[in-house]
Amino acid sequence: MKVTLNWLKQYVDFDWSPEELTERLTMLGLEVEGVEKVSGEFEGVVVAQVITKDKHPNADKLSLCRVNDGKGERQIVCGAQNFNAGDKVPLVLPGATLPPKAGEPPFTIKVGKIRGVESHGMLCSPQELGLPDDVDGLLILPADAQVGQPFAEHLGRSGSDVVYDLEITPNRPDWNSVIGIAREISAVTGNPLKIPAIELSQTSAEPISNFVDVRIEDTELCPRYTARLVRGVKVGPSPAWLRAALEKVGLRSINNVVDVTNFVMLEIGQPLHAFDYSLLSKPGDRQDACPTIVIRRAAEGEKFTTLDAKEHRLNNQILLIADETKGIALAGIMGGQNSEINDKTADVLIESAYFNPQNVRATSKRLEIRTDSSYRFERGADVGICDWASRRAAQLIVETAGGQILESSIDAYPNPVQPKELSLRHAKTCELLGIPLVPSQQVDFLQKLGLEILVRNGDEFCTVRIPTFRVDLKREIDLIEEIVRLYGIDKVPSTAPRGAIGSNPFDKVHDEIADARRILVGLGLNEAQGQTLISDSAARLTSADEQIVALANPLSSDMNVMRPSLMPGLLESLRHNLNRKNTDVALFELGRVFINDNGKPKEERRLAIALTGLRNPTFWSGTDRDAKSDIYDLKGALEEFLEHFGLRGMSYNRRTESTSLFLESATINLGKLPFGEIGQLSPALAKRYDLRDAVFLAELNFDLLIARRNTGKSFKTLPAFPSVRRDVAMLVPETVNHDAVLSVVKQTKPANLENVELFDVFRGKNIPEGQKSLAYAFTYRSPEKTLTDVEVSAAHEKLVSGFRDQLQAVVRDA
Amino acid sequence: MSLLNEIEPLKQAALAELKSAADLAALDQAKGAYVGPNGKFTALMKQLGTLSKEERPAAGKLINQAKVELETALAERRSELELKAALPKEPTDFTLPGRRRPLGKLHPLTQVTEDIIRSFRKIGFVVADGPEIEDEYHCFDALNTPADHPARDLQDTFYLNTTDKQLLRTHTSSVQIRVMKKQQPPVRIIVPGRVYRRDNADATHNPTFHQIEGLYVDKNVTVGDLKGTVEFVFRELLGKDTKIRFRPHYFSYTEPSFEIDFQNALVKKLGKDWLEIAGCGMVHPQVFENVNYDPEVWTGWAFGFGIERIAMIRYGINDIRLFYENDVRFLRQF
Repeated sequence: MKVTLNWLKQYVDFDWSPEELTERLTMLGLEVEGVEKVSGEFEGVVVAQVITKDKHPNADKLSLCRVNDGKGERQIVCGAQNFNAGDKVPLVLPGATLPPKAGEPPFTIKVGKIRGVESHGMLCSPQELGLPDDVDGLLILPADAQVGQPFAEHLGRSGSDVVYDLEITPNRPDWNSVIGIAREISAVTGNPLKIPAIELSQTSAEPISNFVDVRIEDTELCPRYTARLVRGVKVGPSPAWLRAALEKVGLRSINNVVDVTNFVMLEIGQPLHAFDYSLLSKPGDRQDACPTIVIRRAAEGEKFTTLDAKEHRLNNQILLIADETKGIALAGIMGGQNSEINDKTADVLIESAYFNPQNVRATSKRLEIRTDSSYRFERGADVGICDWASRRAAQLIVETAGGQILESSIDAYPNPVQPKELSLRHAKTCELLGIPLVPSQQVDFLQKLGLEILVRNGDEFCTVRIPTFRVDLKREIDLIEEIVRLYGIDKVPSTAPRGAIGSNPFDKVHDEIADARRILVGLGLNEAQGQTLISDSAARLTSADEQIVALANPLSSDMNVMRPSLMPGLLESLRHNLNRKNTDVALFELGRVFINDNGKPKEERRLAIALTGLRNPTFWSGTDRDAKSDIYDLKGALEEFLEHFGLRGMSYNRRTESTSLFLESATINLGKLPFGEIGQLSPALAKRYDLRDAVFLAELNFDLLIARRNTGKSFKTLPAFPSVRRDVAMLVPETVNHDAVLSVVKQTKPANLENVELFDVFRGKNIPEGQKSLAYAFTYRSPEKTLTDVEVSAAHEKLVSGFRDQLQAVVRDA
Repeated sequence: MSLLNEIEPLKQAALAELKSAADLAALDQAKGAYVGPNGKFTALMKQLGTLSKEERPAAGKLINQAKVELETALAERRSELELKAALPKEPTDFTLPGRRRPLGKLHPLTQVTEDIIRSFRKIGFVVADGPEIEDEYHCFDALNTPADHPARDLQDTFYLNTTDKQLLRTHTSSVQIRVMKKQQPPVRIIVPGRVYRRDNADATHNPTFHQIEGLYVDKNVTVGDLKGTVEFVFRELLGKDTKIRFRPHYFSYTEPSFEIDFQNALVKKLGKDWLEIAGCGMVHPQVFENVNYDPEVWTGWAFGFGIERIAMIRYGINDIRLFYENDVRFLRQF
């Protein structure tokens, strides 16, 4: 919503600078999004009134005047003769420049002495102002000219002004009008709000019932409809003042009648529509009857062409203004081409009505038409102002386009809205704000906003009547808000944090997530945050169609489902990095995924890791400095993470087949419980994602990790006796894996075995095909004594024969 | 020549040779030549017996003194030479880059979230959480959002392809409702999380972004309390020089409602007076009624803001999409 400084000043007095007004509006809740200064004609020229006119003491042909410029008196020396005390004349203030005449430099007025007497400005002739009137002497202005008004404004020309672009919050439709904003300024300054008085002159006593009738068929969608007729207008261009007023706030001038309806809408917030009366059809069978305006729902499939020449197909949810034969306007949104004001229009029917906000909104959305009118009705217009706005428009139409107003009008308002009444407990205000605010001050604020005080019960409470334009005031708290707004939130002192300590079960989970993140960055992984919304094709990399949660209204096919796994997002991030030549990437993400669980979407936290490129940062020496990450780098990171996070005993079960995502992979389980998976990305996919080096991915169910986490810690006495290490190197068939070795160890339970460590896996030279060599170190230690060689050997032998018997191991001599 | 007169010159010769030994091998050789079984000093000692009874003690004393002196010199030289032997052939270049054990970085959004949470926890808040897939009740109805409010539009909110009108939460405020429905006051929570708006991605929009929200419900909670807490948290977050301004505003679930602007050296540097950073207000009595709290007994406030926005202001990041691309050159900067 745009308003200008000068327009506001027509309704309330205030002497804030443009900057101060910005600040004041902002602090009232009217956020100023833009301020634009408009320079105008006749800068520094105001309407002044001559108070006294005396002879100049030192010059016969000059007079010495005292002049009121609207702010105070000043002394002016003047050479003209054609004026008297009491006359209103244009005054050029010192510092202002007269309009330049052709071929002459501009002339700036200064305070100076003329024949020994100071003159503070200059009274001017029309010629001096560059106006066409040819007068010998000063330009004498009409008696009703407003003293102090900028001269440009007086002429209806564009004076300098400031245009404010305001963000109006949806709860305050009354602010979508200049008077609505002026009302706030009035409340803050205490200066009265000057709503223009309307006296209809040029009226005709002929009853409107001779011309038109109104029938509301749906009073829910249209609770009030007024119609007024202005006859014999002359449609033409708007006068300069009207055109300027609209153009400054971004509206295009169309013609005097339409401009007036727009002006009144901006002024008071009530959208109006003007019909060409002659284009309304009479009932088909009775040419002597007058037309009837029917407010009805459109018929299903009814066609209607709005005045922007677009044809719409309507349905029965749409409210239509019609005559007996055709639709003539989309209620509250836009008029029809068939009845719009045109050059030949003589009789204007002014519609001023109230339409149901939800219905206007629905229609506006359905037909994709947004207008200043629909915007205002959607947010809630003032049902109480219809008649005032109609009269105001009629008055201005007569002023700008001539014609005659019918004295009577139609006001179809079957169930007048009863203004709401609300009570405010004064103590409640103080409780909520945390400050004592005396009841009389509270009452004063409410009164200044135009709320009528109905009851004042001492200091306890008051009851107020809510004007119809304040649709946002619904309960006590809303009155308290008004009070704090006018009192000033900046004056409410801040109090230091106090009160109860909170509690929520999630608080602990938050820390667990934070723990996990810290461990993972400690492992050299960078934290990623992926998009929650991904493409269905990316989602299908990890999940079956029926597991994927789809959006009903996606923005695009790139983002049409919710991620069922973090891995597609990580792949996308790898692609992004690789395309930018970041070839060595180690990422993890901890976030939510969404899985369709038999029609019910389920949210689950996951942890995923992706590795590609060099294992270590570039270094300048060493044999394996160019080593690339492999699956064991990923598994190592996972193992280290799990151990620190408090999970032990995960098993990794190799999938026998490749999957669409993985070349080789394993599921990760704890006992029978599946936790996640780990593997190497399929080369075909790697190619699709522009990834050159091998890519390793793992994903775990983080909710399960938290549930199964064991963070208990206890101290074990440090060993007091030395340990004995026995190494075993053995040839085993390829089918024997590390887990199989460990399970033999578990079964055999050799006495005093403290630790098992695999330190070599070897294939190749001297190892038969289909076999591999595994080398383990076994550490034995007793907490009670130093073990003898015999004791260790006894235990160790048992283990070695276990390997021989159960794994077909050929144990090489240690 | 008397034995006594031989001791001193021999000692001097031995010392000179030990000191000039170039390496450990030369030192060992010198040691053998003087104090070894066949060394010259050993030979000298063996001659002690040839001296007269009167001469013997003085000579013995002299020889012993010399021997101690030689052994000290030998040990000294040995540790010198051992140190020399341990040094690398070429001196270490300490300007060469080290072999790094890289740490990863927490995502900047995580870092900012953690900082915010830390500030709130100092003053008794705990972290709460809720689902990202919501229903209209928790996301809109219970928060006093009118039935035809534009926020509910298909234009602005993502809905799921399910029958029961599930949607992706548009703000973390839905968690307020879930928490209040579950527990009796007092409530003092902070809720970080992902939210969704149907905006095309550009420099300032991403369909997914993060919010954080604080809610405090207790007896006698005032607007002053709201201001005090907001000021505390934002000074912690944005620096001690931060000024906070409250402006009246409108949100359906708070009344009165305010927007919060801040001002500090950073804002001035951007050439602005105030920068909008958060919305807040006193919990609307209707919201309390919706969760069966008696608004005559309980009052409270809530406030919320976007985490990306804070991170962008704090680090001078100019494009929100950077947060979701996970370019390691970006991530490693924080």
